[in-house]
Amino acid sequence: MNSRGNWASTLAVAALIGAAGYAALFLAPAERTMGLIQRIFYFHVPSAWTGFVAFFISFAASIAYLLRRRPKWDWLAVAGAEVGVAFFTCVLVTGPIWAKPVWGIWWTWDARLTSTFVLWILYLSYLILRSLVADPERRAVTSAVFGIFAFLDVPLVYFSIWWWRTQHPQPVIGRGGYLDARMYAVLFVCWAALLGVMALLIHHRYQLEALRYEVDEMSIEADRRS
Amino acid sequence: MGLARAAAIILSKELRAEFRTRELLNTTVVFVLMVIVLFSFTFDPTSAESRRFGPGLLWLAFLFAGSLMLQPSFTREQANDTLAALRLAPIPPVAILFGKILTNFIFLLFAELLLLPVFAVFYGLHILPVLGRLLLVFALGTLGITTAGTVFSAISSQARMRELLLPLLLLPALTPVLIASAESTVGLLGDEPALPQVWTVLLVASDIVFLTATWLIGEYLLEE
Amino acid sequence: MKNLESLMAAYLLVWGILFVYHLSVGRRLARLQDDVKRLKEKLGGA
Repeated sequence: MNSRGNWASTLAVAALIGAAGYAALFLAPAERTMGLIQRIFYFHVPSAWTGFVAFFISFAASIAYLLRRRPKWDWLAVAGAEVGVAFFTCVLVTGPIWAKPVWGIWWTWDARLTSTFVLWILYLSYLILRSLVADPERRAVTSAVFGIFAFLDVPLVYFSIWWWRTQHPQPVIGRGGYLDARMYAVLFVCWAALLGVMALLIHHRYQLEALRYEVDEMSIEADRRS
Repeated sequence: MGLARAAAIILSKELRAEFRTRELLNTTVVFVLMVIVLFSFTFDPTSAESRRFGPGLLWLAFLFAGSLMLQPSFTREQANDTLAALRLAPIPPVAILFGKILTNFIFLLFAELLLLPVFAVFYGLHILPVLGRLLLVFALGTLGITTAGTVFSAISSQARMRELLLPLLLLPALTPVLIASAESTVGLLGDEPALPQVWTVLLVASDIVFLTATWLIGEYLLEE
Repeated sequence: MKNLESLMAAYLLVWGILFVYHLSVGRRLARLQDDVKRLKEKLGGA
């Protein structure tokens, strides 16, 4: 990709987040009990949904790689996983900022927080695995297998932590009942914006991996000639 | 040759290799023993609390032991490149994985059963009345640990820093198995022993998911 | 206007994380493009 395309997509990313931010800050109605801080919700929740979509893309690409053996599926798998980790980082950062004024504490071992944290670690270990396998084909195969295991593990992680938490007594956490229709509308606008951001980021990361592959091929060629 | 028969042959090969030296079993048992003793320093083991925390610590010890003992499963083959020879054998490649899973399952379960009475004595727990159900939980939990563990050991054996990488891959993925096994054990060792059904279901589900995934995609890890 | 700082911090962090990630991919991309140029010269010269 040339540098102009690079800048265009950077600007598009910034503009999309700006539009969603405007909708969440000014168009969404105020929430009665939590007040302003509730507006974090419009980025917090869609970030998690978007992260799941990115992980699903990585999962599907891993399967496609094992079946078809085209390097491009491996590039898509790593792009999806890395972008998903970026979105879940947003979820884990905004969660405590919301929790502090509302619950009075930064972190609680609540079911959702805990399972999200485990999921984040799971995909970080996927990225670390990739960085530790030198041979490109080996790396693609091993990380595809691990990526599939990790994604299949997600529901197990969520159910186990859900049951584990609901068995133990814990402070009741008010999850603001039903949502106003306008709140839903803004929520989905933000999600759409973040999906757009995700697509741009995955595209960008995919290009990077493709170029890396090209460089690997060229350096092998250069070594062979010298 | 059928999958089951091929896996059984791999199993007998692995068992013979291990019983020649018994390195793996000795190391694992001593490791868990040491962890159990170390735990007793971090909290008062005679208090009623130990009945609630003990099983969690025990399973954590098994999990760490598993992540260490599963390592040689594939790295041992690399020393003399014997995996290449195994691949040449006229058996379905995934049988190599299943044979190794079975071997590791037997080893880890055996080590756990040796340690269970020690744990019960140290922490004052009554295991005899619930032994049957306890064995079921141990078998299901250990199957989950060793299935994912063997597959991930095949993955990590192809990477740098493999000794660090295996626990890193394994521990987050086994969170469900750890929670379900520990909670089942807590239920069985409580004042009114009961096996919470939801955890048994989760253990069975995890085992099925891991075994099916291994069966479907495991063989990709064994190619040249 | 209670919690305005927290809200702003959260928004800026989300925006910042995604943007910094995007820039970091761009940086890595630029470095690889240099590698490509270098390798092309090497391959062309040989």
